[in-house]
Amino acid sequence: MAAPGGPRPGNTPPNYNPNSLADNMQNLLINRPAQPPHAVASSGGPRPSPPFGQQPPPFPSSAPPSSPFPGTSPMVRPGLPHPGVLPRASVPPGGPPQAPLPPNMSFNRSSGPPITQPPPPFGLRPPHPGSLPSSTGSPARPPSGAPPGAFPPSGPSGQVVAPSGSRPGPFASSPLLTGSPMPPSTISSPINNGPHAFASRPLQAGSHFPSTGSIPRPPVRPPPSTISMAGGPPHAPSMRSLYGSQSTSAPPGPVQPALPFSAAAQGVPPPRGSPFSAPPGPVQPIPPFSAAAQGVPPPSGSSPFSAPPQSASQPSGSPYGPQTWPMQPRQVAPPPPPHPIPGSAQPPRMFGMPPPLPTESMAAISPAMSHMGAPMAGPSKIDPNQIPRPIPSSSVILHETRQGNQANPPPPATSDYIVRDTGNCSPRYLRCTINQIPCTVDLLTTSGMQLALLVQPLALPHPSEEPIEVVDFGESGPVRCSRCKGYINPFMKFIDQGRRFICNLCGFTDETPRDYHCNLGPDGRRRDADDRPELCRGTVEFVATKEYMVREPIPAVYFFLIDVSMNAIQIGATAAACSAINQVIADLPEGPRTMVGIATFDSTIHFYNPKRALQQPLMLIVPDVHDVYTPLQTDIIVPLSECRQHLELLLENIPTMFQNNKTADSAFGAAVKAAFLAMKSTGGKLLVFQSVLPSVGIGALSTRESEGRTNISSGEKEAHKLLQPADKTLKMMAVELAEYQVCVDVFITTQTYVDIASISVIPRTTGGQVYYYYPFSALTDPAKLYNDLRWNVTRPQGFEAVMRVRCSQGLQVQEYSGNFCKRIPTDVDLPAIDCDKTIMATLKHDDKLQDGSECAFQCALLYTTVYGQRRIRVSTLSLPCTTMLSGLFRSADLDTQFACFLKQAASEIPSSPLLQVREQVTNLCINILHSYRKFCATVSSSGQLILPEALKLLPLYTLALIKSSGLRTDGRIDDRSFWINYVSSLSTPLAIPLVYPRMMAIHDLNSKEMDESLITHAIPLSSEHVSDEGIYLLENGEDCLIYIGNSADPDIMRQLFGIALVDEIPTQFVLQLYDNPLSKKLNEVVNEIRRQRCSYLRLKLCKKGDPSGMLFFSYMVEDKTQSGLSYIEFLVYIHRQIQNKMS
Amino acid sequence: MAEFLDLESQDAVRMPWNVLPGTKQEAANCVVPIASIYTPLKPFPNMPVLPYSPLRCRNCRSVLNPFSIVDFISKIWICPFCRHRNHFPPHYHSISDENLPAELFPQYTTIEYESPTEKSTVPPVFMFVVDTCMIEEEIGFLKSALSQAVGLVPENSLVGLITFGTYVHVHELGFGQIPKVYVFKGSKEVTKDQVLEQMNFFLKKPKPSTGVVAGVRDGLSEESIARFLLPASECEFALNSVLEELQKDPWPVPADQRAMRCTGTALSVAAHLLGACVPGSGARIMAFVGGPSIEGPGAIVTKNLSEPIRSHKDLDKDSAPYYHKAVKFYEELSKQLVHQGHVLDLFACALDQVGVAELKVAVERTGGLVVLAESFGHSVFKDSLKRVFQSGDYDLGLSSNGIFEVNCSKDIKVQGVIGPCASLEKKGPLCSESVVGQGNTVAWKMCGLDKATSLCLIFEIVKKDSPDAIGQSANNQFYFQFLTYYQHTSGQMRLRATTLSRRWVAGAGSIQDLIAGFDQEAAAVVMARLVSFKMESEAEFDPIRWLDKSLIHLCTRFGDYQKDSPSSFSLSPRFSIFPQFIFHLRRSQFVQVFNNSPDETAYFRMILNRENVANSVVMIQPSLISYSFHSAPEPALLDVAAIAADRILLLDSYFAVVVFHGSTIAQWRNAGYHNQPEHGVFAQLLQAPRDDADAIIKERFPVPRIVICDQHGSQARFLLAKLNPSATYNSDAVPGGDILFTDDVSFEVFLDHLQRLAVQ
Repeated sequence: MAAPGGPRPGNTPPNYNPNSLADNMQNLLINRPAQPPHAVASSGGPRPSPPFGQQPPPFPSSAPPSSPFPGTSPMVRPGLPHPGVLPRASVPPGGPPQAPLPPNMSFNRSSGPPITQPPPPFGLRPPHPGSLPSSTGSPARPPSGAPPGAFPPSGPSGQVVAPSGSRPGPFASSPLLTGSPMPPSTISSPINNGPHAFASRPLQAGSHFPSTGSIPRPPVRPPPSTISMAGGPPHAPSMRSLYGSQSTSAPPGPVQPALPFSAAAQGVPPPRGSPFSAPPGPVQPIPPFSAAAQGVPPPSGSSPFSAPPQSASQPSGSPYGPQTWPMQPRQVAPPPPPHPIPGSAQPPRMFGMPPPLPTESMAAISPAMSHMGAPMAGPSKIDPNQIPRPIPSSSVILHETRQGNQANPPPPATSDYIVRDTGNCSPRYLRCTINQIPCTVDLLTTSGMQLALLVQPLALPHPSEEPIEVVDFGESGPVRCSRCKGYINPFMKFIDQGRRFICNLCGFTDETPRDYHCNLGPDGRRRDADDRPELCRGTVEFVATKEYMVREPIPAVYFFLIDVSMNAIQIGATAAACSAINQVIADLPEGPRTMVGIATFDSTIHFYNPKRALQQPLMLIVPDVHDVYTPLQTDIIVPLSECRQHLELLLENIPTMFQNNKTADSAFGAAVKAAFLAMKSTGGKLLVFQSVLPSVGIGALSTRESEGRTNISSGEKEAHKLLQPADKTLKMMAVELAEYQVCVDVFITTQTYVDIASISVIPRTTGGQVYYYYPFSALTDPAKLYNDLRWNVTRPQGFEAVMRVRCSQGLQVQEYSGNFCKRIPTDVDLPAIDCDKTIMATLKHDDKLQDGSECAFQCALLYTTVYGQRRIRVSTLSLPCTTMLSGLFRSADLDTQFACFLKQAASEIPSSPLLQVREQVTNLCINILHSYRKFCATVSSSGQLILPEALKLLPLYTLALIKSSGLRTDGRIDDRSFWINYVSSLSTPLAIPLVYPRMMAIHDLNSKEMDESLITHAIPLSSEHVSDEGIYLLENGEDCLIYIGNSADPDIMRQLFGIALVDEIPTQFVLQLYDNPLSKKLNEVVNEIRRQRCSYLRLKLCKKGDPSGMLFFSYMVEDKTQSGLSYIEFLVYIHRQIQNKMS
Repeated sequence: MAEFLDLESQDAVRMPWNVLPGTKQEAANCVVPIASIYTPLKPFPNMPVLPYSPLRCRNCRSVLNPFSIVDFISKIWICPFCRHRNHFPPHYHSISDENLPAELFPQYTTIEYESPTEKSTVPPVFMFVVDTCMIEEEIGFLKSALSQAVGLVPENSLVGLITFGTYVHVHELGFGQIPKVYVFKGSKEVTKDQVLEQMNFFLKKPKPSTGVVAGVRDGLSEESIARFLLPASECEFALNSVLEELQKDPWPVPADQRAMRCTGTALSVAAHLLGACVPGSGARIMAFVGGPSIEGPGAIVTKNLSEPIRSHKDLDKDSAPYYHKAVKFYEELSKQLVHQGHVLDLFACALDQVGVAELKVAVERTGGLVVLAESFGHSVFKDSLKRVFQSGDYDLGLSSNGIFEVNCSKDIKVQGVIGPCASLEKKGPLCSESVVGQGNTVAWKMCGLDKATSLCLIFEIVKKDSPDAIGQSANNQFYFQFLTYYQHTSGQMRLRATTLSRRWVAGAGSIQDLIAGFDQEAAAVVMARLVSFKMESEAEFDPIRWLDKSLIHLCTRFGDYQKDSPSSFSLSPRFSIFPQFIFHLRRSQFVQVFNNSPDETAYFRMILNRENVANSVVMIQPSLISYSFHSAPEPALLDVAAIAADRILLLDSYFAVVVFHGSTIAQWRNAGYHNQPEHGVFAQLLQAPRDDADAIIKERFPVPRIVICDQHGSQARFLLAKLNPSATYNSDAVPGGDILFTDDVSFEVFLDHLQRLAVQ
């Protein structure tokens, strides 16, 4: 447990509602078990529309089945877990486990957690740890085995679940952690979520991470630590747990990679034992993928999920396992379910693992359905409970990037894992869509898959990971290939007694610099290879020399630009922004290099000179919004240490100064330009708080949305044009901003249309991002605004950065996409880069690769730290090349592939009609599956839908994507623009949750006592699983909806929300901490999610029958809707398409 | 002379010709134009102020005056200008021989009317426009002078503040919470609409689509105006705190460059703001400028110090690239200000030029005050500024929003006015075709005027030679009526009417009459204004030649001599000192522009154009008084011969007052004799010229520079430059006297030549 976390210690749980996570957790678990049945039942009732008519049956039947397949309903699983858990957990509560884990966590979080809650940060991690342990203690790290089971419960979508918790989530609550580690009860730290930090439960925190718990604010200074750690949090997706378990367990792999299984397994009692699971059990500890094998297939048993269960090792049997897919046999369904399933068995592990037991892993879906077309009704029946669904894992996976001198396929991005850098860089920094590189372009084309890298150069590490080593080569600078300028890395081959080395990127042979010479050992490696980080680590940071500087590294400049137009004032946005800034000032990096400036604007721009000599800050108004300028050259941006008091005073006064402002116009573009002029000499971060449509001055916009509406008759075809920027003015400005190293983040706090499509050009081009608060509520949003802002300035980040990805000969980067500015084809200019930003680089072949060789990718990021050091972070990933199609499918990385799909779809939306985009997305999915079916699963019956194990959830996610708000026509233009924009820099671990959110029941939090994980397992996103008596929480990393069923227990409602009737549900909701265990748990859960997601979440209460309820149900992506198929229908559709192609 | 002074003390009018040549031809022969120098607001302690509106001729709009012929019986009065018969209105019905209204009293040819109902609702407005591109020391001086001035501003008057450097800062003094300024880019000219819009004047209501937008009447709210213009009593604190924190313009200035001062833009913004807030009310823009304008419209030079500011030579050669553009800009500005009725006052303090030459047009047309000094710490500036706001005996009597109109007999036409006013382009039968100064009109706007403001009106006699006209003695009077409608310092609108009558003569025997009516001083002043005007407006004009020719023609016409006999030449006493005035005028700063910068020349001329005859004469020919043990203080000849070792001289050249100690006096003083009780007389002798100098300074605006110097000292040049070089290094030295190192001709030589040429 590294101490890093330590820093945080002080969490102070602030607020009011402290909850004890632990309790919750347990409760949850408990409940679940019970529920399943209920759920089912109930669900059955309510649900009107089962997918095929058949559905109903399932449920009903469910009873029986349920037991078998608990899987279906998440709930069920949980139940199982317990048992499982216990065993493992054995250790349970034992502090021990916690201890270890926690530490890590803490660290990470601390760094991470942007969010307000100070306390929480640490807390976050904890959860994982817990999980880890549970996982069987597999890795040493996770000491205690927390009851892994608990986590697993999360169910299907492993990702969603717990893992995420790891995120730095600012919110301190450390629910997870606590949960796992400790006995729930203890913890009760006061965590609140409210805006104010929640107090995280002290106990936990304490226990886990010593430091963490205590420290509320993530931000804590220990910047360094943060940074290093940083990476961790975000990623830590639940997955880990799974893996973890698996790893321990074994790589069985059949079933999908989805961790879930494993998890499942654990949790679940062996009974069901996953059918398949057992098999493998390979040794490997962490084979994330392993899972693969199972056949998802309906047939019996092991449902897809079932994990592979390694059950062997662990207790876990895959919970699911048992479930077989219940397809409904009855039908005619041609295909015999069973078979398919088993089939897969194999192989789960990818390259890494030696034991390729199974030949192929595939999950077959049993298509029960009719083979053919009849989509409908027909014939086939599929047991909805048996179809592939994500299975969460709660245990932490220990991942070594290379083993046996071979690249080790990374665990799913959404899982919770700890990386040990043994040559390749951590998957947090670089992830490839396929973990083996096809030797030829034909092979790639045949597979239908994309080859792309997702690069997150400053990703937050897990707290337990070792910090990146900094290497200083002195004045000569880092050793580089003289031809391609690639940086020295572990894959450069030294020859000729070390006098020369061959570049692994371009193949050129360079002379070794004299003072870098070292003899080779008998194994052909340099004798000092293990002592030099650059020769044995996938990621290192070089200290940049003068050559890498055009000028002195820039100071940390933060310029705040606040909308004070009439609307902004009236809706309280200005006050919220000022208050957030005022609090955040304390979190800015200390030191003389931190500079701050403030300006406000309406139809004019108001700068302030907060120089201390003056009695009061001086307001300088730039009235000309068509030709702006900065009113002073100095004194607009001043060292924070010299003006702190004036700034605070000013920020307090701004809302009052403008309280009677009658100016409705807003000169956003001009204000940005003016602020830019003030920052031009230094560059830095420009944080804009905008509340209305920019209506005057440079870059003024019109209310296109309404025009769009009135012109709707002119055709849907043009509809997407509203998602394009209105004109080029802002784009040109953005390029100029980027050129001078100014990064713009825009916080849109509004109740109206503001044309995000146009505005967002600026943040996107300058490496910033858009935050969107719609409809802005002065009651509920200030807390989120503060937390977002806090994370924005405290998360690990760099300035004036340039990034380039180099590839081995034969491959090259085709295109980069993300939030940056590109002036030359090979480099990406990033005025600022932070731990959350991800850039996708698509690759193309320009030559054949050698089978059996390795292909390397190197990402070099030259940047300036907030403390003014110039650094080059170099991450190198070397992957094997293959000529085998099956190898590609086996090594496909679902999370990364999906992230890639998502980003590509998002970038298409503004330029193509929506129908076309949807079709493209669907076709991508079909093509891959078709290729697999055609070339790798030839033996199976054509009546079966065979899915590659690694990609078996692809159809589900594809469906979810098609139904996501970005691809729906019914959404507001701004919502869709925001979605597109959000996706463009989205990190891999957050991609899937965005379209396939995590849903969990919260009405029974108390009853799940045994589970140590805070986050109960997720419920499939189907309205069948939403009961009228229940209360559910659904979150996608950005929004968090709490749905209260019409017949929800008034007592529970009172405990959770302080209301007794559904009708009393407030439209604006602030999560309160009440003095009862249930409320405490809820707070813990929410805080944990925040921590995992590094996002504060917008909380909203939903109830049936009003728009909020519609919103909630719009996330039920497995449902059939007016415009979309149900999950089962979609599978049938895909199957038919494949069949058509085959014939 | 005395009679002319008497006339002046009755009507504030001086005319070169108090007996007018009766025909066009004869007027042309007189050389010196028919003109009058009129001081509209000259204070007359005994002048009544009538609390009613004047009675005007229904035909020519002239005002009832003592020269009107009144028929008490039929209650009719005949206008002396147009001969129109007007009925008295009912309230004059009690009029009779014994019961005359004041305006008919013969001694009240100058009288004021004050209409009780007409009172301006807006108190006086002062908009300070302050340059900040100066060294800290100068800023310090300026700040203290300003805060002193702020204390002196009448409590009810409205005050606004604009500071400028690279950018223009308009201070919103009415915003209580924190200091607030609007910043305009200096390099860009802004329009009035932009100013209105950008400063949020249209917040409450949509901007009117057409029409002038200005003031409360036109829809600007009181509150929005009160943001920038506040009663002095309310904003004194805010103003002082802003002044206190006033800092040097923060934009960096490289060592080889000038500060990016944007005087033109600042003035333009000030004008727009006043135009928007208080159009038509008396308002003054008081500009404090410490250097040349570099940025934006009105720039006079580039920022590179390697490029010098234009000199007279550059102007002559037309190699001052910015000059005409800047003048054009300020001309437009002056039009705007005149339209709005606002004044531009200029306080320019710098060692180098600041662009007074370009600004002159705006200052002069609006009747603004101008002060030029070398530092804001100099008494010329500090004391002058104090004088502006001083009340009491020596106040300037600043009035505003004046309109000046002229009426005269039909045989006379008005060519124009040389002085601080702007033509209103009101054409009438009185307008002459040929224009001098502000012409083409019978009405002029005087946005700002004070007790000393004096206009020089140039007339033209249009009556053709007609023999029969001569005999008509009944009709040998020319009448003039000067009407000045203005806002008194009290806020009351007043009308001052001055009506004059002068006899005209024609024909052969008229020359003696003309001589008798010749006012040499007024003539010299008119010639000075005229020559200045011509130098500025006529290309290739040779002022020396023009003056010499004029003088020679005058002497030829009015001198007494035998042809070709220079020694026989003599002049009537009425003309005797006129050659001397011209001699000094030729050498004065008005004509000799070398050694002066264009700024200084412009400054001198602006002052000349607004001063009355007595003060103008001092500018042309300084007065010199000698103090010695031997006699009481006595005027001395303005000649190098006046210098003596045992004398103290007091020179008043208007712009400078020089106390010059002879070398012996200086030795005594240095030895400290005046501190010894037994030498009390010496102390008195030393003190006397100082006291007299103080007296002069006290009543003069701008305050003159006082120079105390000793013979042979460096400062003595202020005296020596003005003296007639009767003794130079190449003439025979006068024992005990001083000599001047100059090649200029002395007065004797000048006279010799004059006599010779006049008699040819």
